[in-house]
Amino acid sequence: MAASRSRVGWFTRHRNRVGDGFTIVLLLVVLFPFGWLVQMSFRPNADIFGYDLLFNPTFAHYKALWAGAFPASFVNSIITSVASTVLALVLGVPASYALSRGAFRSSRGIALWILATRMAPPIAFTIPFFLAYRFLGLSDTLIGLIIVYLTFNLALVIWMMQPYFDSVPRELEEAAWIDGCGVWEAFWRVTLPLSAPGLAATAVICFILSWNDFFYALVLTRTNASTAPVAIVNFIQYTGWEWGRIAAAGTMVMLPVVLFSMLVRNYLVRGLAAGGVKE
Amino acid sequence: MRTPHLNLTRRGLVRAGTGSLLVPFSLASGKAPAQGGRKPFDGVTLNISCWSATYPTLLGQYLPEFTERTGIKVNYDTPGFPVYNQRADLELSTKGSGYDVLNVTFIFTSRWIGAGWMTPLDGFLNDPNKTPADWDAADLLAGSVAPMRDKKGAIYGIPWISDVLMAASSRFDLLKAEGLGMPDTFDELDRAMALINKKDNVAAYIVENHWGWTFIPFLQGFGGSIFRNAPDDLMPTLNTPEVAQAAEFFAKLVNSYGPQAAAGYTYDQVNEAMRAGRTNYSPMNHAFAALLGAEGSKVTATSNFSMLPKGPKGRFPGVASHGWGIPIGAKNKDASWEFIKWSMSKELVGRMVERHGLGSVTRTSLLNSPAYKGRMVINGVDTGKMFLDSIALSETGYMKYRTVHVYPQVNAQINQAISSVVSGQMKAKEAFALAQANAIADLKRAGVRL
Amino acid sequence: MTGWDAQRRHAFQLGLAPALLVLALITIAPAIYLVLTSLTPLNLTLPDSAWDFSTPLANYSDLLDDPRFSRSAWVQAKLSMATVIAQLLIGLGVALLLNGGGKVRQFARSGFLIPMVLPPIVVGLLWRVMYAVDISPFHRLMEFIGLPVGSLITNPNLALTAIVIAETWEWFPFTMLMVLAALQMVPAAPIEAARIDGANDWQMFRYVIFPYIQQTLVVAGIFRLIDSIKAFPLIFVLTDGGPGDVTQVTNYYAYRQAFTFSLWGYGSAIATLMVVGIFVLSWAIDRLTGTARAGAR
Repeated sequence: MAASRSRVGWFTRHRNRVGDGFTIVLLLVVLFPFGWLVQMSFRPNADIFGYDLLFNPTFAHYKALWAGAFPASFVNSIITSVASTVLALVLGVPASYALSRGAFRSSRGIALWILATRMAPPIAFTIPFFLAYRFLGLSDTLIGLIIVYLTFNLALVIWMMQPYFDSVPRELEEAAWIDGCGVWEAFWRVTLPLSAPGLAATAVICFILSWNDFFYALVLTRTNASTAPVAIVNFIQYTGWEWGRIAAAGTMVMLPVVLFSMLVRNYLVRGLAAGGVKE
Repeated sequence: MRTPHLNLTRRGLVRAGTGSLLVPFSLASGKAPAQGGRKPFDGVTLNISCWSATYPTLLGQYLPEFTERTGIKVNYDTPGFPVYNQRADLELSTKGSGYDVLNVTFIFTSRWIGAGWMTPLDGFLNDPNKTPADWDAADLLAGSVAPMRDKKGAIYGIPWISDVLMAASSRFDLLKAEGLGMPDTFDELDRAMALINKKDNVAAYIVENHWGWTFIPFLQGFGGSIFRNAPDDLMPTLNTPEVAQAAEFFAKLVNSYGPQAAAGYTYDQVNEAMRAGRTNYSPMNHAFAALLGAEGSKVTATSNFSMLPKGPKGRFPGVASHGWGIPIGAKNKDASWEFIKWSMSKELVGRMVERHGLGSVTRTSLLNSPAYKGRMVINGVDTGKMFLDSIALSETGYMKYRTVHVYPQVNAQINQAISSVVSGQMKAKEAFALAQANAIADLKRAGVRL
Repeated sequence: MTGWDAQRRHAFQLGLAPALLVLALITIAPAIYLVLTSLTPLNLTLPDSAWDFSTPLANYSDLLDDPRFSRSAWVQAKLSMATVIAQLLIGLGVALLLNGGGKVRQFARSGFLIPMVLPPIVVGLLWRVMYAVDISPFHRLMEFIGLPVGSLITNPNLALTAIVIAETWEWFPFTMLMVLAALQMVPAAPIEAARIDGANDWQMFRYVIFPYIQQTLVVAGIFRLIDSIKAFPLIFVLTDGGPGDVTQVTNYYAYRQAFTFSLWGYGSAIATLMVVGIFVLSWAIDRLTGTARAGAR
């Protein structure tokens, strides 16, 4: 008896350490391409494709980026991502609350509609938006991009916030109503603070999705409103493939997103699946 | 509607930010920012784009002069050829104001000008207030201006290049060692490549993968043709045995005598490989071939040049013109014209010839100048004469296929067909039968009566 | 209904209305416009073609005859099947590895997230470097150990595989996270019972754990399937649909027709078919798995 128990115990310990070791190795392998790009951004041009890990790091590529048109596109990314997130929240949060509490008969239909928007391929939107913007003069404008981003952000906000609102006990709101608060006053005072973490996570995910967008920006912007991901593609398409700058631009573009993602990693799945886990 | 408010805020931010960074730099470099006398176009910014040929790339270096002289700031970008075309085509189709000056690409001249997407330039050229007489528009080669005109003869582009395909060898010493000269026929080419391949670790043959440009001389050399009778009869004729034969020959050159992953080489990669002496022979644009003799090239002393070899049915070196044009939606056309005037002035182009050996020149006066003629003799070989001879050949009209307004679609089909043949996915006959079917479908969809 | 109830209902309608209005404007209006455009031969060089409804179904009949379209659908099918299966398997494997375990594995979870949150264009860039024979450390390594590998993305037989690898790398964290969440909800009692009975790892997984995570795997699979149809940045950066058209999925073909050749009518028709196809697919899967779910109960 004692012998088999200790044998199981030893095996488990052994397994944990092996598992940990394997995890680390796997993590390194998976993150290798990512790390390679980042290190390329600090390598001097002469040695950009070299393999020895001891090199003199240089900020020359970042400086060169800064002097070019890249900062403008970076600022464009910030503006479009923040603005579309704010707009999506302003429109979507009250809607989500209304769906949660309002017991509308059509809420299943609305849920399906939202899911449908999420499923439609971007090309189904880019063609009509491109043609419409051409007519409306919204081509190559930030406003144009912000509106297009609403197609996924608005749906996302409505979808994501609903479970949070659902989980706030109605009694608390009812208590506020009895005290004389209007529906929205109670929402502001009671429900919203309780859903703050969900709200923050939703906001961050909207930001990430807007920031990462490539297809819409590629098609709907040209020079004035091009965002950072599209600007990187400009570097690629210059002849000579300025790898140092490409790597630096890539690193800069992914930095905000990676940082933000770490903050909301527990909410990422729900956000990206737009509620798929909810059964 | 553009939202100027938002624009201003963002631009203001960026300008303030970069401006405050630049002042210390400019002071440190000893050049005080221009002050005093207001310039005619102070505060104007132009967005300009062109594909990355030699002249546009060089022009980037001279932009500060332009800003100094006129006060116009230029946002300039030079993407690769296919990317530039796609973006320019898309932008022009919106009649938008995203760009102020664009390159009118040869294969798109008919399409862009015919659809009314470019601004007529006669008004600018004929107005003595806008264009001084000594700018000398008549000095531009008539043959280069021709594709930039519409059916009635109005001008929509100022050509900056009439380029020809010719042959360059970076390691002619290896050919000489085998007792060979520059190949003059396709057969000689095949034999020469076989003999020198991999000698001294140098791959014998390379060509840029814009097959719709580099394959055509072979197609025509074997007796094939793109359309039945451009520009009147636009029925494609890609499925003839001559075309298949040409395709097989072309693919053999690339696969048997090319370096690894030869099929992926874009023109800038070819330039690099040739200048470094890693590949020996290439059909190249004259403007790029001239780079073999320019600074940074390792092979000036061993280079040689010739006209493109001829096939059983003749010699058909490709000739293409590109020019600067003003999109119909550009907001400040006067400023755009300032740029075109400056960038195509005798003085500036002349300086580029002298300083950088610029080969792509469209001004007769410069083509005849001693500086140009001197620069075009590389390693004792007169590439200037080959250039002019090739252009003379093209006047027989075999380039008409290229300015047909639906050629871009056919170009794409040829690219894909050759790609399939070179990669071994399909035999030439199959690939071009498919190209023929697709081309017919695409042309019909574009509204062409066949 | 009391006065308060009516007031409340009114308030909720007020909260919902703006969002629905905007959503209708930016999703339904474009959808209608898309379908309308697909009924015209719209080509911007011929302005008259914009409202030419003389042959409304011309684009669709062309599509049925278009071998490039059917080829693109086949490429899409191959890509989707390969990436979904790969992502499920790898996601499942990594999730099992990370489940439980100590601080190291908790920390690793954040690390594994990175591929999924990177801007897709950056992912395309990374893999462009990894697949460029002259400069890729991967190719160098293979050469070093004596098994040189040629360029994958210019090889017509391997180009799609190259994209599958890159796409799997990018999205396996998604399935991993979903499975992890599900694993954490597996009740402890059956596991303990099985362990006491002497079950080995495989039996534990197959008979105890798997039934609990089965549904999650299906849901994850559906989401990955739908997202795989949207694949764009990777193809744009790595292969541009080539060599030839071996990596030209339907989405990319539509993009080419609309944005490179300016055949807006035709591109709209392709996009419309894609949307219909996706809806039908989702409905079908929902039906099938709904039945399975009911059966599992």
